[in-house]
Amino acid sequence: MKKSLLILFPFIILLSVGKGRAVTKIKQVGFRLLKSIPEPSDIVFDSLNGHYYVVSDHGQLFECDSVFKVLRVAEKEGLDFEGIEIRDSFIYVSDETPREIYKYKRRDLTFVQKYRVSWGGAMNKAFESISFNYKKNCFVLIAQQPPVIVEYDTSFKQISKYNFTNARSIAGARWYNNKLYLLSSLDATILVCNPTTYNVESTFSVNVLNPEGLSFDSKGRIRIVSDDTRRVYYFNQLPISIQ
Amino acid sequence: MIKQLFSATILVAGTFLTAHAQYSEFDGNPAASQFTLSSDANTLQIGGRISGYYENRLLKDDSNYLKKSHNGWAVKDFDIDILGKTANKFVYEFHASLIDLVTAAATGNTAAPQNSGIKEAYIQYKGWPVKIKFGYDKLPYSQGSMSDVWGTPFWSHANLYGGDLFSRRDFGLTLNYRFLNDRFNAYAGAYSGMGENFFEYGNDASGRFEYVGRIEYSYPAKMKYNLIDEENATVPVFRIAADARYADKTQPKGSSIYTDAPDAPGAYGLKIIDGKKLGYGADAIIKYKGFSATAEIHYTQLKPTNLTDGLYNGTDESKNKKVVNSGGFCLGGNYNWEKKHSVFSVMYEEINANDLYVGIQDWMYLAYAYKFSGFNSVAKIEYYMPVTEDKAQAPLHYTGQLRVGYQIVF
Repeated sequence: MKKSLLILFPFIILLSVGKGRAVTKIKQVGFRLLKSIPEPSDIVFDSLNGHYYVVSDHGQLFECDSVFKVLRVAEKEGLDFEGIEIRDSFIYVSDETPREIYKYKRRDLTFVQKYRVSWGGAMNKAFESISFNYKKNCFVLIAQQPPVIVEYDTSFKQISKYNFTNARSIAGARWYNNKLYLLSSLDATILVCNPTTYNVESTFSVNVLNPEGLSFDSKGRIRIVSDDTRRVYYFNQLPISIQ
Repeated sequence: MIKQLFSATILVAGTFLTAHAQYSEFDGNPAASQFTLSSDANTLQIGGRISGYYENRLLKDDSNYLKKSHNGWAVKDFDIDILGKTANKFVYEFHASLIDLVTAAATGNTAAPQNSGIKEAYIQYKGWPVKIKFGYDKLPYSQGSMSDVWGTPFWSHANLYGGDLFSRRDFGLTLNYRFLNDRFNAYAGAYSGMGENFFEYGNDASGRFEYVGRIEYSYPAKMKYNLIDEENATVPVFRIAADARYADKTQPKGSSIYTDAPDAPGAYGLKIIDGKKLGYGADAIIKYKGFSATAEIHYTQLKPTNLTDGLYNGTDESKNKKVVNSGGFCLGGNYNWEKKHSVFSVMYEEINANDLYVGIQDWMYLAYAYKFSGFNSVAKIEYYMPVTEDKAQAPLHYTGQLRVGYQIVF
C-alpha cells in the first residue's frame, strides 16, 4: 500500500506543474447595495444622460440615475438577462437561457424586437456578455464558460468565432478607449484585449466576489456589479485607461 | 395541531407561490453540462456524468470473511440529466443514474436498494419570490448532502450525510425564499418520508408526511452548494445554517414498516421507523483564496413505538427511556490551488448510529484531484480509513481503502 502511494506521488507532482501570468491589483473605492435590483448581472453607462442601465437575472432591464436609484423598468421582460450594450439609439440585452437578444429604444425602454443567436453549450454558460467592437463594426457576444468570443453583424448573423483561453470564464464585456475590456467572474480579473485579435494586453484583479458586469463612466472610472452580493462596486480609472 | 397547520401553510403557499432547485447537480453549477437546445419558448439542456475508479482495500486477515478481495474496477457514475426551462418560468428536470437502474433491474433491487436510479424528477416555478418545487429531489437538509460530491476530490459523501443515517432524497413539495438582500435563504417542505425508497414502496401506511426545514445566512454573498473554493474568493465568504426534520410514522394496526417496506429503514434502521423521529443539525462553510473549511453536526432523536423494536437493542425502558439517539459530526478542509489545477482535501467524521449499542465510528479521508478542465474532466485519488471501528454496528473487513479514477461531466 505504501508502495503504491509512493509510486503515485511523483505523478501528482509532475501533473501539478502550471504557469502564471502578471496581474495588477486595483483597489475598490466603495460600493452600493442595489436593493431594488435582484441579482444584477451587467451594467452599462449612458454618456448622453449620465444614467446607468442594469440588467437582472430575473429578466428585467432597469434605468438608474448616477447613484443607482431606479428611474424606470422596461415593461418587456425576458427570462435571464445577463448582458447589456448601448449602440446608437438602442439598448441590446442578452437573454442567456433562451439565447436571444432583446432590442429596446434607448429613449423610453420600449421593446423593439428580438434576435435569436445560437450557442449549444451549457444552458447557464452561454452569452453573459455583449459589447460592440467599433474597430471591426460588429457585436461581440461571449460564451461564459469555456469562454468563446463570437462576432455578430448588426443583424445578429454570426461572422466568426475565437476561443479565449486567457480566463476560466467571462461574464462581462465593455468597449472603452478603443479596447475591449473583458471581466472574468471566476478569476475576478479585468482583461484588456486588442480589439482585432482579442489578445490580452494587460490584466487587473478586482476584489469582488463573482463580478458579472462592468462599465466605465464619463471619466473612465469603473463600475462592477456582482450578482452574489447584489452590489455595484466603485473603482477609479485603470492605469492604462487614463493614458 | 401544529403539524396540520404546517401542512395547511405549505399547501396554501404552494397554491399561490412557487420552488427552486438550487442544489440541482446540473442547474447553474460551475461544471455544468454542455449541450443545449432552444426553441421559441423552451430551452432544454442535456448533460450527464461518467466516472469510475480502481479500488484497493487493505483487507484484514479475517478467516471468517469469505469474500477475500474487494479490489478491482468500479463504475461510479453513468448519469444522464435533462433540464428544461420554459419562457413562462417553469423548470423541469429529470436525472437518472443508468448504472443504478441497471443494477436494480439485474438484482431485483437487492444490491443497493437505497440507490433507485432516479436522482431528480421534479417541476418547479420560478416566477414568484417564493419558489415552489414538486417532485423528487434532494432534501434541503445537511450542507454535505446538498453539495455534489463530484465537485470535490472525494468519490463518495461522508457517512454522516451519505444516506445511512437519514434520507437524502424524497418526493414532496419544497418552498424556497430568499430575503434581506439574499443574505437569508429558507426552505420548508413536506415529503413522503420514504426517502430513496419512495419509488419501490410509495407512501407508507401512516398517511403522514415528513417535514423538513432549513435556514441559511450567508455573508457577504450568497453561496452555492460547492464545498471547494473554485472562485478563489477574494474576500472571506461564509454561510451558517440550521436544519430540522420531523416525522411521525407510527403505523396503524396491522401494518409494519419493517415488513411492508423492509429496505426503507436503511443500514442502521434509522431512516424511517415505526414511531416518531426528530432530527436537527447545523453546518457552516467558509471560503477564502482557495481555502475552504466545512463543519457539520447532526442529531436525531427516535422514539420507536414498540419496545421490542430492534433499535432499542433489547434494553429495558428504565435504561432507554423510550428514546434512541443517533448523530455525529464531520469536519473538512480543502485547498484549491488553481494555478496548479489541483485540489487537496481532508475530512474527519465521527458517528454514533445508535447510542443503545456500544461503539462509535471515526473516519479519516484524504483526497487529491487534478483538474484537466475543472471538475468536468478530472483525475481523483482518495484514501480513507477507519480511525475507530464500530464492531457492533458496522464491522469492517479492511483497515483502509484507496480509490483512483477519472470523471467526465458533459
